[in-house]
Amino acid sequence: MAETAALAYSRRFFFLYDSSKVQEEEDRTREGIYYFSPEDTPVDQQELLCGQLAGVCRCVSEMSSSPVRLLRLRKSKYAVRMKDSFLWALSCVVDIPDVSVCDLLDQLIALFCFYNGPVRQSYQLYSKEDLALRWARYLCHLQGGSTELHNIFSCVRTIDSTHIDPLLLLKAALILQACQRCPLVLAGCILYRGRVVSTQMTPALTMKVMVYETQTYSQDFRVTANGLSSSVGSPSSFTATTQVFLTPTELYMLRCHPVDRACRSHCSQPPCQPSKSRFLSRTLSDTPTTDTDSSSLDCPPVSYQTMPSSPRSSLSDEPYFSPIPSRVNTPLHSNLMNQSEYFTPDSHDHGTLNGTNLCAVKESLAGLNIKQDTDASSGSETKSEGLNSDQDTQSDEIKALANGYEQSNCLDNHSDHDNQIQNEENKLDANNHVANKNGKFQGETEEEARTKSKQVEGRLKEKYEPRNTPSPHETLADTSLVPSVLYQHRVRGLVLALLVEPEFNTDPTAREEVHHSSMASLNGLEAHLRNTSPGTPGPPGPYTFAHYDCIQNTLTTNVCGRSAGPQEAFVRATKLLHSHFSHLDTLQEAIVRLGSAVYGTRSMAQETYFLQQGTPVRNSGSPDPQDSAFSLPRKARQRLLKHGVNLL
Amino acid sequence: MKCLLLANESAEVLFYWTDTEFEQRVQEQYGLPAFEDSINTLFAPIIISCSTMVDRLGDNYTSFSTENNHIYVLHQFEECLYIAVNGDGDETEEDLKRKIFVMKKLTEIMFGMVTFSGALLRKELRPQDTEQRNRLWKKLRSLLETYSRLRENDQSFLVEAVERLIHPTLCEQCIEFLERRLVQQINSNMDRMGEEVLHAFILVHTKLLAFYSSRNASNLYSSDLLALIILVQDLYPSKINLDETSEELESSSVPEVFYTPEPSPPERESGDKNMAEDSLQTLEAPTPDPSAPSRVFLESKECPMPHSMYCLPLWPGITLVLLTKIPNSHVATSVCYFLEAFVKLEKRLCEGHEGAAAMRGQPSVQEQRSRLEKLIKTWAGMDIQTSQLQNAWTDFKNKAFSRSGSGFTRDLLPSCRNMKTQLCGVYRQFFAAECMGSSQRLAPHLQERALSMVQEKLMDWKDFLLVKSKRNITMEFPGLIHFIYVDRSNGQMIAPSLNVTDRTVSELGKGPLADFIKKKVWSLVATAQRYLQKGYATVTLRDGDYFYCYFLWFENETGYKLEVIDIPSSPDDGAPVGMLTCDYYRKLLRYYSKKHQNEVVKCYELFTVHLGVIPNEYILQHCSQLARKLWEPTRIPLL
Repeated sequence: MAETAALAYSRRFFFLYDSSKVQEEEDRTREGIYYFSPEDTPVDQQELLCGQLAGVCRCVSEMSSSPVRLLRLRKSKYAVRMKDSFLWALSCVVDIPDVSVCDLLDQLIALFCFYNGPVRQSYQLYSKEDLALRWARYLCHLQGGSTELHNIFSCVRTIDSTHIDPLLLLKAALILQACQRCPLVLAGCILYRGRVVSTQMTPALTMKVMVYETQTYSQDFRVTANGLSSSVGSPSSFTATTQVFLTPTELYMLRCHPVDRACRSHCSQPPCQPSKSRFLSRTLSDTPTTDTDSSSLDCPPVSYQTMPSSPRSSLSDEPYFSPIPSRVNTPLHSNLMNQSEYFTPDSHDHGTLNGTNLCAVKESLAGLNIKQDTDASSGSETKSEGLNSDQDTQSDEIKALANGYEQSNCLDNHSDHDNQIQNEENKLDANNHVANKNGKFQGETEEEARTKSKQVEGRLKEKYEPRNTPSPHETLADTSLVPSVLYQHRVRGLVLALLVEPEFNTDPTAREEVHHSSMASLNGLEAHLRNTSPGTPGPPGPYTFAHYDCIQNTLTTNVCGRSAGPQEAFVRATKLLHSHFSHLDTLQEAIVRLGSAVYGTRSMAQETYFLQQGTPVRNSGSPDPQDSAFSLPRKARQRLLKHGVNLL
Repeated sequence: MKCLLLANESAEVLFYWTDTEFEQRVQEQYGLPAFEDSINTLFAPIIISCSTMVDRLGDNYTSFSTENNHIYVLHQFEECLYIAVNGDGDETEEDLKRKIFVMKKLTEIMFGMVTFSGALLRKELRPQDTEQRNRLWKKLRSLLETYSRLRENDQSFLVEAVERLIHPTLCEQCIEFLERRLVQQINSNMDRMGEEVLHAFILVHTKLLAFYSSRNASNLYSSDLLALIILVQDLYPSKINLDETSEELESSSVPEVFYTPEPSPPERESGDKNMAEDSLQTLEAPTPDPSAPSRVFLESKECPMPHSMYCLPLWPGITLVLLTKIPNSHVATSVCYFLEAFVKLEKRLCEGHEGAAAMRGQPSVQEQRSRLEKLIKTWAGMDIQTSQLQNAWTDFKNKAFSRSGSGFTRDLLPSCRNMKTQLCGVYRQFFAAECMGSSQRLAPHLQERALSMVQEKLMDWKDFLLVKSKRNITMEFPGLIHFIYVDRSNGQMIAPSLNVTDRTVSELGKGPLADFIKKKVWSLVATAQRYLQKGYATVTLRDGDYFYCYFLWFENETGYKLEVIDIPSSPDDGAPVGMLTCDYYRKLLRYYSKKHQNEVVKCYELFTVHLGVIPNEYILQHCSQLARKLWEPTRIPLL
């Protein structure tokens, strides 16, 4: 019996358990199980695990007056989150770094709350079965990294920028900036085939937005989201909006994003958000450029693609859990918390744009200038380049980017003109609330969505005039999530995802404007990306490396697929070293050897791991200056330059 | 906020130790009149959940950590569950695991094979008599605290290898003296009461000056030697601060603390409340009986062999230790032989083998049967209680061999287990300290004679030794801040001293910098051990302003460096890397030797801390030179 159980037990588990449902003797444990993955686990085993783990966690947390965070067994380990009577637990094999599995669980919970709002409320509104589908989707999304390394670093998947024209990245960035001219638009990102092309959001938020996208993409454009409304253009192009929930930190970060109000077009200002008050609440470090508001009708300043915010959701998930920031001192998290220090105003100096070296962008700007000339001569209206000279404080790179912005705007305007007819059609569709052709989607019209949101309101009222009073903690946590809207515009494999103020849904002008301004450029970008060959990866080279950008949560590596041989050794060492780095802030570099040596180095902004392949020269392991292991740092510096990794 | 607890499967607490902070916290939360009840209530759900997990899932908890950094480490040894808790950030998960394994080691040293039986261990650790239990728990707590103190302050307990005083001439003279004069004299004396000195050694604080083993003695393993040093330090603790000069040492020559395993007149205890206090202060033996030996069980090839240990304080900080073989110790070997046979049988039966298959791999059943019959008869004539063993044996025979019995099937399991318990019981009667007559010891005058002989011999060296123990070796490499060199083949280490509060300046100077370096050295060793556990034998780290190196390598006897091998990674829930517990390095050497069967394989480790500004190539050169230089002193034979 124990053996068969043990066999099934080697799987990876995730569950959400509500102990308030199991309080009396006669209550069955299964009443408390809200979700259990894998779902085909026999119920008695689900009950056993949930019952034991929840019991033991409660016992420990009472003794220590603090929630359990990590629970280790001989054959597996569980990241744990406890909040009120809820307990989430996510298991993994023992050699995954603690920090990775804990991050993964936090991301999972954050994802759920992003799309569904507070957990308690979600389970009042929807059935366990409905929400189970969602948990499963989020779980699948988060664990679906292409290599083990992607899961260890829980990074955002980006397009391989080494094989596409940097101009396209720039163009994507400009599309996003253009959208922000509508004041209801907070921030956005552009995804292509499940990978990030450009984003204005924090890595954590980008991750959240991507779930929906990845899902839709993988379902061959069929939409099964819990969207509130949708409107459709052509079969390959449509827009949809979804209700989402932001944490106050996220919202604050989004709203204090430096966008020039004056340059925003005719859209109405959000009624409750006078721009002045936003600036009042800013801290010095949040104002990286000169106060653009005062600079009258100047061109919009550059909006940085890497936004100041907390990576890896360490700050932003706070409201789901402890109202008291007690986790600050946890070693698991101290490192993560410290990362917020990285976000000094000059964070844009890191010079990468989704992994693209800024140098590459600069180089290609020369080419862009030529293009601009052509455009100008073709008669489209061009904003004076001289306007840029006001941005004296900006660095050269930023100026270059700003130039690009101007130019691209022209391109957009130009092509917009060409596509006007199509846009008109789309507008028509949107205004008439024509539902998606796809049968599955039909149920979720805006009408229905409105009734649904009324229901939400109604039930929320019920909640606040409660039959059983919720604890102050709970109320605090629940109310702290702010409803917002995720707008998505899909053009085949390309998706523009925008986080917008809730008013956006009821403001047809705003919708129209955003749609109008981006449509053509999206089409163009999609066509370009589609025609860009994925690029045959060059010969892997006699080395293995992984470069993790802690600011943007991106990973560059030549480890592919299932790792075997030297790659396996590399991944093993990387796991250990990453774990070590996460525990010891002062550790800068390390060389460890088991068979072949692996070199790891980190700075505030990155972690890099390097292994030189080839049969290691015979050695004894005794201290020896001739030992080749100690030349790894030099080799890594040389070899990785061509991957855009600068270790100097 | 610390706690260590032993419980059996029925959630009964067999032993616990807490510091004051933990005790206060528990009292605040639960406030039951008896502290032990609070502890019980507190841990019972965890203990019960552990057995459920084992029974139903074949897995068990190994640790919990909370958001406020409290750590709980759990480990199950047979029927006994150990739980260690830390809530003050002083200890890591690894430290707690090590503490559990050390606690296990200490119970093995004190109770030997009795630890094999859960029921007997329970009796041993939780005597019915409250006085007796308090005394025993006090002793165990004191040992645990002594270990923790050594682990925190003494480099030899950091790397778990014995540190030698480097003075070849004196060392050699002492060994000769121990052999020719001391041991010979004792072993030829009529008043030795059937005991025979097997090992004799001299300790200066925790450092070894000389070690002698008689020819017919079996090897004393480093793990045991380290455990014995804990016992000695518990009896005669060196001042932690080590900041007394030799004059001060002389004036405070009376040992402050005694322990006697003999039954003693009742002592008044103010309940359990004082338990958590520093036992070094509260432990005042009611009837000091310095000539009574401690019973220790030492590893041998066959089984834990009972010995008597005599600690004779020459001067404060300098101790002579004698280990003697006690009468009837050969019984241990035969008990152990049969115990093992029953353990094997139990395992085979549990795995579902029946009949002849159950006895596979063992000598013929009939032969074993008649041998055991004979032994039981002999024991019966030896003044110990054997009726229970005889009953168990009759029961076993009826079931296993008679026609009406079940034969070798699963049904035999209970009888098999009962035999195990009864055999352990016999072993206990023969050897457990409290069961031996209090008169069993080397005659006091013989002990006194030994003491004065060695005192006389070392009189002129005494002050030198005490100073030498603090400045054992000096460094001459610029930029090198600290190193530890370990010869794992003989379990010995060399390192400059790190006396952070020492008035006499150590190599590192004193004050906050020395303390900082000490912390760094401690974390370097922990890190290296963590990597070694995963198979990484070379580690270099740049951390802050310092550069750390760790090397492990193998040599043959002539010093030729052997090719590196892939060291297997050990499971996370395995024993910690070290020598004191489950001797990792002994296993590692055995593993390596399989590939080099024709030569003697030696294993070395070097830990270094350099200033980060020194270029890497110089650092590596230093390390290589250092290893070469340090190799010489370790060649001097100790025996």
